[in-house]
Amino acid sequence: MMPFLVSGLGVGAVYAMSGVGLVVLYRSSGVLNFAFGAIGAVAAYVAWSALDREWPLALAVLAGVLAAVAISFAYGRLLAPRLAASDPTVRSIGTLGLALVLLGFTEWFWGEQPRRLVLPTDSQAIELADVRLTYTRVIGLAMAFSMMAAVGLLLARTRIGLAMRALADQRGLSAILGVRVLQVDTAAWVISGAFAGVCGLLLGNIVRLQATVLTFLVIPAFAAAIIGRLSSLPATVAAGLAIGILEALAVLVPGFSQFRAATPFLIALAAIVLWRDASRKA
Amino acid sequence: MKTIEANWSTPKFTKQTFQRALVVAALVAGGSAMAQGKPACGMNNGKAATGEPIALGAVVGKTGPDDFSASALAAQAYFKCVNANGGINGRPIEFTIADDQWNPEVAAQVAAKLVKDRKVVAMVGSSSFVECGVNAKMYAQEDVMVIAGVGVPRECFFAKNYVPVNAGPRVSATVVAMYAAQQYKAKRMVCVIPNIPSLGNWACDGAKDWGKANGVEVDVIAIDPGSPDATSTMLQAAAKKPDVVILNVPKGIMVPMLAAAEQQGLAKKIHFVSSTPAYNFDVPKTIGSAWSGNFDIHLEFMPVESAGKDNVNWKATMEAFGGKNDPRDSFAQAGYLAARIATEALLKLDPKKIDRATTSAALREVKGFQSDILCRPFYVGAGARHNANSSGPIAQVSGNGFKQVSNGCLTAADPELADLRAQEKQLGL
Repeated sequence: MMPFLVSGLGVGAVYAMSGVGLVVLYRSSGVLNFAFGAIGAVAAYVAWSALDREWPLALAVLAGVLAAVAISFAYGRLLAPRLAASDPTVRSIGTLGLALVLLGFTEWFWGEQPRRLVLPTDSQAIELADVRLTYTRVIGLAMAFSMMAAVGLLLARTRIGLAMRALADQRGLSAILGVRVLQVDTAAWVISGAFAGVCGLLLGNIVRLQATVLTFLVIPAFAAAIIGRLSSLPATVAAGLAIGILEALAVLVPGFSQFRAATPFLIALAAIVLWRDASRKA
Repeated sequence: MKTIEANWSTPKFTKQTFQRALVVAALVAGGSAMAQGKPACGMNNGKAATGEPIALGAVVGKTGPDDFSASALAAQAYFKCVNANGGINGRPIEFTIADDQWNPEVAAQVAAKLVKDRKVVAMVGSSSFVECGVNAKMYAQEDVMVIAGVGVPRECFFAKNYVPVNAGPRVSATVVAMYAAQQYKAKRMVCVIPNIPSLGNWACDGAKDWGKANGVEVDVIAIDPGSPDATSTMLQAAAKKPDVVILNVPKGIMVPMLAAAEQQGLAKKIHFVSSTPAYNFDVPKTIGSAWSGNFDIHLEFMPVESAGKDNVNWKATMEAFGGKNDPRDSFAQAGYLAARIATEALLKLDPKKIDRATTSAALREVKGFQSDILCRPFYVGAGARHNANSSGPIAQVSGNGFKQVSNGCLTAADPELADLRAQEKQLGL
């Protein structure tokens, strides 16, 4: 059991980080970003292309993350404001459109030939319970926690964090009070884009470099964010890790192991049902 | 030239990949075709056929998770060559390719259109993941023979009128298991298969049943193809302490599994082998140097770069009559063979009496069809099912390419093939 627990940690860490990326945008602009995975996929493919052209690693990573930031910025600046007055559901579904466009583009441009995003941190590892936890996964874990702390501080302690929270709660009122809506919104999209880029790179390495898979990895991240009730960052991180670990442990359940990709969906479903019950009682 | 595409796989193969791979393929094939000269096909008399056309068709999965159209495109190239060389005793072949979009409903519609409306006398070079299960019964009812290119699911190998030219995932895994047992003295193996309907355990059970009869323990692990976590799958396989892990999965899933195995240090402890999907131009470079000389693959046909006369003729046919972008891969080899089988059977008929009944009868008569692309002569026969191709060579990843490591071909000793072996005996093969 221990080996699977450790192997689930790596994937879980990136789910956790993706969850934090989703929550930060939701808490600042009220949008659930369905395109999070697809933006990450583009980042991973851009980095792969750069590495394939023998760019230095740092530059390749930067190119990938910048691509993600650029897409997120463009959407947040050009399209999202046009939907700003709409219902939150409509604004979220708008990102689903972006996800599908990006998915189509990635598949068309890079094709589906098998690729591997190799990072130098893959070759070294810590041995835990007979499992080698590569440094890439360790970095993923460390980043999940540090990002959680950083975003927590940003939202709680900074001026822009305050503006973000105000905007998410009362958009019209905040604008009247002088919050620069477009600026703050754009900042949130940029942060979320950077998260998507980093998560995409890590998932492209840890999971696989395949556009569809990376695009739909937003689902476990949603599950984590939902368990964190789209607000609590520590709960989101804990949930992301738990989902990764449970999915790995599902290998041990006879009869279920060949359906284990359903684990995050089941957890999300359970979370929604339990959450509703809890809020009714309250 | 290296291989471009595996024999069965799910992931998509889209434009840019195509363009890049095919430019290389076209260049190399072009170079060799110049040396090869003109292709030989059909009556080979250089006269264009002008008589009443003979309708043939094919169903392929073109749009969807992967592009399976290469086999029908190769068949089409061969038929064009036949039409330019006397046709079927003067009658040209009119070949229609239909895309089933990997959708069973569409597969049924397009097949019905070809069989009932266009009244094709036979289907040639079909390759589809979904059509066998949907259309096999209709083909039998209408007495249309299908000389298919590539079949993957079980249904393709268990139908009276469906005759795939390839070996299929079950035979492929069995042969590579036999090779591993012989080469590495393996006693324990794990066979990894995706949990896909009508593929599932069946494709690994050939290796398992062969193992039972030969003192080799083969465990089957059915995996969720959608799971993002390949490490746990590899740990699950390693926990069974096998000497050999057989990967019987599409290349998109295989690459992350090998990466996970490498990261867990399993590449050095366990021998990894695979069925045909790993035989793909991009795989050696993608999986990296850790697997060079360390990953053996069964091929359902002779390597695409082999120098056999018929293989060279296939490439020359593609060059002269195929599209620039038509793949030159093992799917195309299969389609070319299917078209040759059909042409040679039709040429034996009286051109005035070519209809569905005579064509089906002539195709069932096919016996001892020779090609150096195949390991053994091909036959059709009147049996209740078909799997005439049940052998193949073993290649190993070597640097950024492949090299053949088996001494000639190995033939699957899968107990499930007993009925076919009996039939072969009856046919005197």
